[in-house]
Amino acid sequence: MDASSSREAHVSRHSGFDSRLAARWIRACAEEVSTHRDHLTQLDAAIGDADHGVNMDRGFSAALSGLDAIEGVPPGQVLQQTGATLMFRVGGAAGPLYGSAFRRAGEHLGDDASVGLEELLAALREGLAAMQSLGAAVEGDKTIIDAWLPAIGSLERELRAGADPDVVVRRAREAAEAGATATTAMQARKGRASYLGPRSVGHQDPGATSTALLFRALERAVNDP
Amino acid sequence: MVTSYQRRGTIQSVDRAARILKALGSGTARLGVTELSESVGLAKATVHGLLRTLENQELVEQDPETGKYRLGPAMLQLGNAFLDGHELRARSLLWADSLANRVGESVRVGVLYGRSVLIVHHVFRPDDSVQVLEVGATIPWHACGLGRAAAAFSGSDRRSSLLAGPLPKLTGRTVVEPHELSLALDAVVSTGVAIVDQEAILGECEIAAAALDHRGRTAGAIGVVGPSDRLHPAAPSQELITEVKEAARGLSREMGAARFSALGG
Repeated sequence: MDASSSREAHVSRHSGFDSRLAARWIRACAEEVSTHRDHLTQLDAAIGDADHGVNMDRGFSAALSGLDAIEGVPPGQVLQQTGATLMFRVGGAAGPLYGSAFRRAGEHLGDDASVGLEELLAALREGLAAMQSLGAAVEGDKTIIDAWLPAIGSLERELRAGADPDVVVRRAREAAEAGATATTAMQARKGRASYLGPRSVGHQDPGATSTALLFRALERAVNDP
Repeated sequence: MVTSYQRRGTIQSVDRAARILKALGSGTARLGVTELSESVGLAKATVHGLLRTLENQELVEQDPETGKYRLGPAMLQLGNAFLDGHELRARSLLWADSLANRVGESVRVGVLYGRSVLIVHHVFRPDDSVQVLEVGATIPWHACGLGRAAAAFSGSDRRSSLLAGPLPKLTGRTVVEPHELSLALDAVVSTGVAIVDQEAILGECEIAAAALDHRGRTAGAIGVVGPSDRLHPAAPSQELITEVKEAARGLSREMGAARFSALGG
């Protein structure tokens, strides 16, 4: 995964987040979610209704099959289409949450053919706002937010420090993974897991875990051909 | 965590033992004497003595390999005894089963417990999907259909104190404004049903109705819960609402409610 000197990272730096990179990201998301489907479901079985892996896999498979039909459209529209698909195909709470995040992020990017990582960061921040208004979750509630928020924070820091794109996305993935791991010690205050009260402590949140997979996918999309 | 203050007429060692049991019942499955003494704020020797006593009663047990403690088998018997002795639960079993079968959705029965609803019975949606038993779960009353149905028919004092207390926002859609909630409770009284969409959990909708006792007061509530897109495409179907109200009426009758027509429609 460490491809600091890869030619593709170099290409990405110059061409920015365009239609091809957006599609590569969604494809990588679908692969990551599919690979980790059983793990997500296992995590969800401990504190939820044991369907997060299956739901996410169904949603991203649908988003993946929709990619061909929208080849070449601006990256913002790729994300909006993905969001619309996730909204209706994932189900549960994750469907509306991830659906609105991708849709709002896509709307933020508008019809630009290519944007920089700064704009992508702004779009992901909009996606975070969409999820927070829908779910009313804040940091520490043991949700998606606990991985998404540190990833955004890391993106911002690294971009401001002028880091290379491959470093920026690697650090974001690391931050999301650390955030997901940190949910283990938290008591859930949102979602079905909150019904368990203190018994939700000691289990990693499946939503934060799937968010870390999406940032892992972004790292791959930026670095891989 | 339970505070360590002493109420007059209570026994300190029993209070301490209860705190140890609650600590063992929260999240971390196994705790050592040191961890326990830190979490309940007692000396290790005291904790050790309490654990030995609880172990004699099989309320806790010690893992032979790690030496750590966990809840013992007698706890399950106590939990089951609580459920068995619960009148509303006992009387709801058949009604809940039949409702779940008729509408093909998950059914829950709950009672007001402090500022929450305690789920005392849960019948799974009759399909092959994996579901989690929610018996024992507590859900803030205002965000959940069972809670609103039960609160609507509780006495005016109880209702005021429920509306006055903290009303956390569980999703972006949770109604937390007391006046708005009060109007929602009035609507429950006039329609006989509480319809709550995605206010406790995103993507989940509940249709619930109160079960009343012989005084016409809330004994609890019974309701259907399931995916919003199925139960609440634009609004729940009239058939679904009728089924829930019928089940609640039947349950109220069994609880001794004389004028179950007070439940509306």
